This record gives sequence, C-alpha cells and structure tokens, in this order.
Amino acid sequence: MEANSNKLPRRDYLKLVAAGVLSGVSVPWFERFATAAVQKSRGKACILLWMDGGPSQQHTFDPKPNGEFKSASTTVPGIQIVEQLPQLAACMDDMAIVRSMTTEINGHYDAKYFLHTGYKRNTAFEHPAIGCIASSQIGLARHDMPAFVTIDAGFDRDDGGRLYRSVPAYLGAEHAPLAVHEPTQGLENLAPTGDDLAARLQLLAASERRFAERYPQPAVNTKQAAFDRAVTLMQSKRSKAFRLDEEPQKLRDAYGTHKFGQSCLLARRLVEAGVMFVEVVHRGWDDHNGAAKPISARAPWMDAGLATLIRDLKQRGMLDDTLVVWMGEFGRTPGDGNGHFCRAWSSVFAGGGLKTGQAIGKTSETGKNPGNDIVDRPVTAPDFMATLCLALGIDTHREFLAPGLRPMPLVEKTAKPIKELLG
Amino acid sequence: MVIAHRTCCRAMIWVAALCAAITTVQAEEPTLEHDVLPILTKHCLGCHGGLRQFGKLDMRTLPAMFAGGEGGPAIEKGNSEKSLLWKRIAADEMPEGDDREKLSPREKAVIKAWIDAGLPTVSVRQARIDPLLPADAKHDPSEVAAAIDRHVNDFLAAAKLSPAELSDDQEFLRRLYLDLTGCVPTAEQATAYLNDQDPHKRAKLIDALLASPRFGEQFGRTWRDWASPAELPSDDNAGTQPHQQANEFGQWLGKKVAAGEPWDRIAREILTVQGEFKSQPQVIFFGLAGIGGKTSADGSARAVASLFMGVQLQCAQCHDDPYRAWSQQEHWSLAAFFGRMQGDFSKIENGKGPAPAPGKIEIPSTAFKRAGTSVPASFLGGQVLTDVKDDELRPRFADWLVAKDNSYFSRAFANRLWFYFFARGIVNPIDDLRELNPPSHPGLLQLLANEFAASNYDVKHLVRCICLSQAYQRSSYLPVDVKEETRQALTIAFGRMPLRMMTADMLLDSFKLAYGEEKEFDLRSAGKDSTTGMAATVQNAYLEFRRKFSANEEDATDFTHGVSQMLTLINHPRLLAGSKTLDAQLKSKPETTPEEAIDWLYLSTLSRRPTAQETAESLAFVKQSQDSQTGYRGLLWTLVNRSEFILIR
Repeated sequence: MEANSNKLPRRDYLKLVAAGVLSGVSVPWFERFATAAVQKSRGKACILLWMDGGPSQQHTFDPKPNGEFKSASTTVPGIQIVEQLPQLAACMDDMAIVRSMTTEINGHYDAKYFLHTGYKRNTAFEHPAIGCIASSQIGLARHDMPAFVTIDAGFDRDDGGRLYRSVPAYLGAEHAPLAVHEPTQGLENLAPTGDDLAARLQLLAASERRFAERYPQPAVNTKQAAFDRAVTLMQSKRSKAFRLDEEPQKLRDAYGTHKFGQSCLLARRLVEAGVMFVEVVHRGWDDHNGAAKPISARAPWMDAGLATLIRDLKQRGMLDDTLVVWMGEFGRTPGDGNGHFCRAWSSVFAGGGLKTGQAIGKTSETGKNPGNDIVDRPVTAPDFMATLCLALGIDTHREFLAPGLRPMPLVEKTAKPIKELLG
Repeated sequence: MVIAHRTCCRAMIWVAALCAAITTVQAEEPTLEHDVLPILTKHCLGCHGGLRQFGKLDMRTLPAMFAGGEGGPAIEKGNSEKSLLWKRIAADEMPEGDDREKLSPREKAVIKAWIDAGLPTVSVRQARIDPLLPADAKHDPSEVAAAIDRHVNDFLAAAKLSPAELSDDQEFLRRLYLDLTGCVPTAEQATAYLNDQDPHKRAKLIDALLASPRFGEQFGRTWRDWASPAELPSDDNAGTQPHQQANEFGQWLGKKVAAGEPWDRIAREILTVQGEFKSQPQVIFFGLAGIGGKTSADGSARAVASLFMGVQLQCAQCHDDPYRAWSQQEHWSLAAFFGRMQGDFSKIENGKGPAPAPGKIEIPSTAFKRAGTSVPASFLGGQVLTDVKDDELRPRFADWLVAKDNSYFSRAFANRLWFYFFARGIVNPIDDLRELNPPSHPGLLQLLANEFAASNYDVKHLVRCICLSQAYQRSSYLPVDVKEETRQALTIAFGRMPLRMMTADMLLDSFKLAYGEEKEFDLRSAGKDSTTGMAATVQNAYLEFRRKFSANEEDATDFTHGVSQMLTLINHPRLLAGSKTLDAQLKSKPETTPEEAIDWLYLSTLSRRPTAQETAESLAFVKQSQDSQTGYRGLLWTLVNRSEFILIR
C-alpha cells in the first residue's frame, strides 16, 4: 500500500493553519523562562522502570543507621545502599542516586500523574506523559519501530491505586504508547494471522488507493498511514526485537526469570532497535504492612534485572546513549515504610551520559525519624522532569497549546534541573 | 510556539477560515470577534484580562475597553488617533518590554481599521437575525428542514461556495443508520432500502430508525460519553471507576428519549435527583463530575454549565477567565446551587454538602484567587437567590434552566445536536456560547433553539428536522480538483458532510453485525474479564475496547487510531474467522453463487453493492484462495480494514 508521503497529515496541516493565526513565538503573559543551564542537541533513548505504589527509600537506596535493612558499601566510596542489592552496589559507578526527591503529593494517582507529567493534575485538561513527550520530541521520524512502548511487568499485590496511563494529550494521538502486556510474549497481534496476508493486502491496496483518490482527505491519509506503519512493523526485521526468545538463555537468566528482569531485557532490545522511550511498570510496591518483608522478596529480582541491564547496555556500548531511570510516585514513611511519604524519597538514574557515581541530596541521619527530612538539595517533580528531559536532549522551553488557549511549556518554567547530574 | 491541541486548532481554524468566508461577504471592515479578539488574545489579554489587569485595564469586552484603566478609556469610537490602544501599539510600547513580540503591521492595520470603522461587532449585526420561522409554534419537520437549508444556502451563496451534491442512497443509508442507531444496517435492511422506489423513502427511514429502541441506545451512549471523563481520578475509593454506573445512566437516558420524554423533564430529573443509584441511575451524573468518588459543588457546576447551558466555566474555578468575561464569582454562584448536596457513586443527599448554609458557598483554598470568599447562589448573569431551603436549591435552578425564555438551555442542546451530526457546532467549541464567540450561522441556531423550545423540547422532532435537511443529506464527496481551502470552508459552512470516524461503540456493533457473532463481540454484558491490559484495575473488556478504539470526542473528523489499533484490525484472529451469518446462509442455501456471497459481504459492511471492478477483483481473490470459505473470510477482512468501513461518508 502506498504511503501518502506527499500529503501532510491532518494534524500538521492544522498546525500550519493555526500557526498562521497565532503565529508568534513569544507568549507575552508568561515570562520567558531563563535559558536552562544545559542543552543537548541529540536525543537519547530512555528506559523508565516504574515501581508503582511507592517503593521504600530506606529499604533500597537510602539506608539508615539502625534501619530494618543493613547498609553495604558500593564501588563508589562513601555511597552505601542496602545490602540486599549486591549487584547494584557493584554498578554504582554508572548510577546516580537522587535521595532528595520531594513532591508534595501523597495520593497514588495524583502523585503518579505529577511524576509522569511534571504537572499537578487539574480538572480542565490533561498533560502529556514523559514517554509521549519523548515520542514527540526525539522519536525517529518514519522509523519502522514505534517511538514509545510500555511493558507490563506484572504485580505482586493488587494495590497502589489506579494505574496511570500515559496519554499524549495535546501532543497528538500518534504519540500514544504501544503496550506490551506480557514481556515473554512480545507485542500482541504483531504476527500475521492466516497464510494469505499478501493476497489480502494486495486486494485491500487496490480499493484503498481508489478511495484515497476519491477522498483526498486528512482522515483517510492518517488512517492509511497508520495502517502502513502497522504493516511495516509486522514485516520489519527490527520487530524481532519484541521476541525475547532470540536472546541467549544465559543472558535471559542473568536478567532474572522474574517478569521484571525479562521486561528490562525486552526494553534493551527495543532501544537497540530504535525505540526511544520504554516504560516498564511493575505494580505492587504499596507496602502498607511493612516494607521489609516484601522488599526482601523483591530485592533479588530487582537487583538482577536493573544491574544486568546496566552491565548489558555498557557492554554493548549503549549505556552513554541510554538513560535508565528507576523510581515510583513517592517513597515510604521512615522506619517500617508503612505509609506513603512524599517529603523525602529516592530515585535512581543510570547511564545516559550523566555524571554518575554520585548521590544527589541527603536526608536526615539522626533525630526521631532518620530520613524524615531533606537536609540538602531538594528535587521537586518539575526539577526531576526538567533533568530527565534535558538528559534526553529535549528542549524544555517548547510550548504547546492546551485547551482553553493555555500555552504550556513542556516543563514547568520554575523547574531547576539537577546541574550536578547533567554536567 | 507549537500549536498542537486540536480544540484550539479547531477554534483557530474556525476564526481563520470563517473570516475568509465572511470577509467575502463583508470585506470592508474587520469585526471585534473575528479579527480583533484573536489579536487581543494573543498580545493583550494575558495582562489586561481576567487573570491580571495591569493598569486596572480589562480588554475582554467592548464596555470594559470603554471603561478603560488608569490611563483612561482604551478606545474611542471612529478615531484611532485618539485611542490609547492604538497609540500604545502603534508606538510598540505595548506589549511592554524589549523581549516581547510586538504587533505585526498586519495586526496593527486590523486594529486601526476596526477603531476607525466605528468598532463593528458581529454581535450587533447578528442582533438583527431572522430565524425564518416564528418562534412561538412547533412546525412541520419538512418546513423546519427547508428553513435550515435556506440558512445554510444563504451562507454558502454569500461566501460564493458551491456545496456538495446530495448524497446517493448508499451514502445516506449508512450515515443515517450509524448516526441514529450506532450500527451499520444488515445486508437485508440495506437491500430493502436500496430497492425501495418510494420517493419519500428517506423520510420513511428517518421515522423508522427514530422509532427503534436502538435510537435511544445510541443517544444514551453518546450522552454517557459526553458526561463521563475519560478516566475518573480517584485515590480515595481505591481506584474504583463508575463505568458500569455510567453505562446504566446512558441506558436510562436512552430509554427516556426513545419513549419520547421531553429534554427539559430529563434534565430536571438529572439535576434534582436525590436518593439511591439503584432506583435512579442519573445519580451517577454528579459522581462523574465530582472528584475522588465524591460529588463536588464546582464539578457539578462545570458539568451542568457545559452540558446543559453550553458554557465553559473551568478557568473561572480558580480565577477570572483570562479571555472570556466569566468571573470566578459567576462560577461559584452557580456552584452554590450544588453546595448543599453530597453524594458518591451510589447516592445523593440534600443538606449535607460542604456549603455553610443553603444558597451560599465558600471558595475553597484550592483556588488560587479569593479563597475563603463567601458567594451566594445566583443564576448566570441573573438575580441572587435568597431565603432558600436545602431541598429547593436544585429545583429552583432547574426551573430557571428549562424556562422557555432561557435561551442557554435550548441553544446548548441544539448546538450539541448539530455538532453530533456535522462534527462541528454552529458555535465552537460547542460549550462556549457567549456574546464574543458568535455562531457562524446565527439564524440557524436561533431557528433550531426556537423549534426545540416550541416543541416542548422534543428530541426526536429536532433530530427529524435536521436529518430531513439537505444540509445533512449532502454528500461527503467533492470533485478531486476542489482545493483543500475550499474543502475546509465548505465543511465550516456545512456545504458538505465531512468524513467522520466511527466511535468505538459503532465499530463494535458493526463488527458484531457483519460477523454475525453475538458472543465474542458481546463486550457490554457484565462479567467479561479483561484478558490483557496493564491494569488489574481495568475490570472489563468493554472498557478496554472503548479505550482502545475511541474517537476524538471533540472532533469526529480527526482519525485517532494508530499502529496499536491497526495491528488489532489486521491480526486479531476473530476478524479473519469469517461471518457466522454468511456461513449459515451458505449452508442452508448451497446454491448461493460467489457473486451473491460477495454482494452480501459488501452490503453487510459498506452498506452497498460492489462495483463491477470490485466484483471482478473479489471473484479473482476468492478464486485464488485455497477454497471459497477462505476466500470469503479474506474478503470480509479486507472490507473491515478499509478506510470506507471505519469512516462514515
């Protein structure tokens, strides 16, 4: 089937028309926000490992004296993480821990929304998710692989509030993610059904060509372009990236047999094939009955999955161009981790050409509740989003029109990116 | 700035293209609404609007500009040289600051010409509108249809646009079935209609479909979707989503409309509901508009304003609307009517809400302006309600809303209904009815609103009037040499029917029909568990299907499906497994020829017979298939994968 490459997709056409009316670049009622310290010209890929429900920081990357988990040294002198994560301790050179996340929202859904979009949820309109932002800003044009894929790594408790779904909002429907529901089975409906696909496509192509000639319209062009992209993906050699069984068993075992490890491996394969943003979601970190026991159980597969991913990327020379992020929507209350805790929690960056081998920010070590407060370098959700975007080479200034004629920058203008990380 | 949001694009396009259409009519002078306000919105209203009023100047409306700010009136009629607005922009003093973009020469010329022409406005011109039929009586539908066409045709003539031809029978048949019943016709229904020689068969079909219960089902689903947010964020109730309740609400609404209940009565039943969901599904209306599984006064006000009054108040929740003359006060004085009710997904009770006393509400701390201010209940732009009891609040509001002299109610419905059929309203966005956002066809909107009120808010009557019009019955086909600008202008002028996308429900029901598969496509029945899906909290397959195949609610001409949807259509095994109905037919009538089977497949999907070329291609395809069964299955697959299947011509 022919692609309508000479016709502008409808949305682009609309953009052009609309731009004629609102042609300005500056938006007078919002102060131009100061040029951010760091700008990179080239986009990098990103693998976001989302620990849904809110993982406990003191049971992972910000251990406390007299905490439930013991600390262990890492390859970076002075940085300690819990002893349950030995493989990650050996990767510390390639990781940076942000221990001073502070994000104001203790409710699951609103926090997930905030950390995925960099904006607080409101009732008037939705904001685009980071994966969709990446798709629209650094996605490879006319590539046969999708720009943004989500992978469901399963759950170990059915809790943690409603799942956040990445929506492109005002960036356009084509930036919605392609979802893998089961990492070991790849992408649903990717393989052709029946053995007469070629004949069917040929019959269809003839009638589609006639229809497009008769109705040279944006909706028809968009439909046929989407169809072509789907067929291209089905027939592309690169789409084998969705198949884990092509990986050597030894490496698959190293990633861990848990769905999370397999998802990490799939994410690496996808990035290798040209996908720019992969979000792996593992649900069930909402540990209201104490974080120690469940995290003891999760630590081995999380350790294996993330550490193997970092090592594997490095070995393939991909680590500098692939940013790995590990996080949830908030942390957990100091001590046993029973409750939600947004005041001071941890996220982890790895690779992506960032200045790794450091810990950013610090939480209190002493007092009644060690870890209860940030003593150094608070990082808000917009700060975090700006850092992530800049690391991927995304221009955070760019503005898009949200409903109600609101010009929205990709990242809130008050954001202060973590310069220590961006170098 | 990158312009990306579709609604805005539509709004901007509307301004741009309509200006083009209208300037051909009144080329001599710019108007406030079409020419000047877009410029003011871009350059001025951010600092001199609802959000900020630097120099105490508000430029959102003409009276406000006359009132002026610290420097005196901003404008002087007919005299740009004496107008402060012109002086400041001509000297590039405004917008203030070196880093701000100044007005372009063209923009300046528009402002100057507008002031010198005596500040012309569309609304003044439209004050003299003639709806063509008297307002005080219900008319015969064909009479109304003729008046609709005069409005549309006058506009087209003035804009020197030649409309598309009248649709042919196939096009009309499929469009009407999908619009009124949410599903394509069966092959038998299509054949019967196409063979019918009665010159009045279009009117007959409209009547027949309006009388079927499926009309109510489709209408109810449409309103369910309009009343439901895509996802209802709620942590407080463990992520429970009231989708099932929303479905029941849609069914309830649909049954009422199918039974001919007038819209004002239905609206009143929704607005004044109290008690349990079990016996009154409309209880969920307020839950859907609420937050965290609970009703909220301002959410209720927003939903009621948008759906029943055609007015957008969402910005005014937290601050005065920067661009529209809605104040935060107006938003909260409407919210005050809903301030003493409280409820969730299962019930609504009066006298328990957060408001301190009936008819009063406090602006909550989440608003970033005037938090804590107490606001009395008052009708939009009308009088304050005093001395009112808890149980009277919402009934008093409903009385005001559905009163025949309240044009918000009938205009909002008429505009929304028109939008449903034409994928754009007479006013756009469809819930932004206000003086400075004038209708493209003011007489038409007035006509429809009058007729709706005069018919005692008879939904079917208004649907019948619109569907009988030539405007609705025009083809979506335009000769290939018609330029894209003209196509756009014709769409805006309602001189052609745009291609619209099937909704998820239309797609589901049309699959069900073509494949003769009740079981596998029966996603609506309760208890269908999700087989895939990222969320354990997704609950059901129907929801998943709707989420996946949803169209753009704001613009049905926008094709929203991408690779994910296409992969399902291409490779889902059921879509290649053939039609049970056809299989049964072939079994009971073995003498069926391949041509007959091919005809049946075309009629069941595209609601037309194949052309000679298509028959030849299909025959060749079936012949080269390993057997005729496989051939028919493959052919059905190509038909449902066609653009012509998912796009309504």
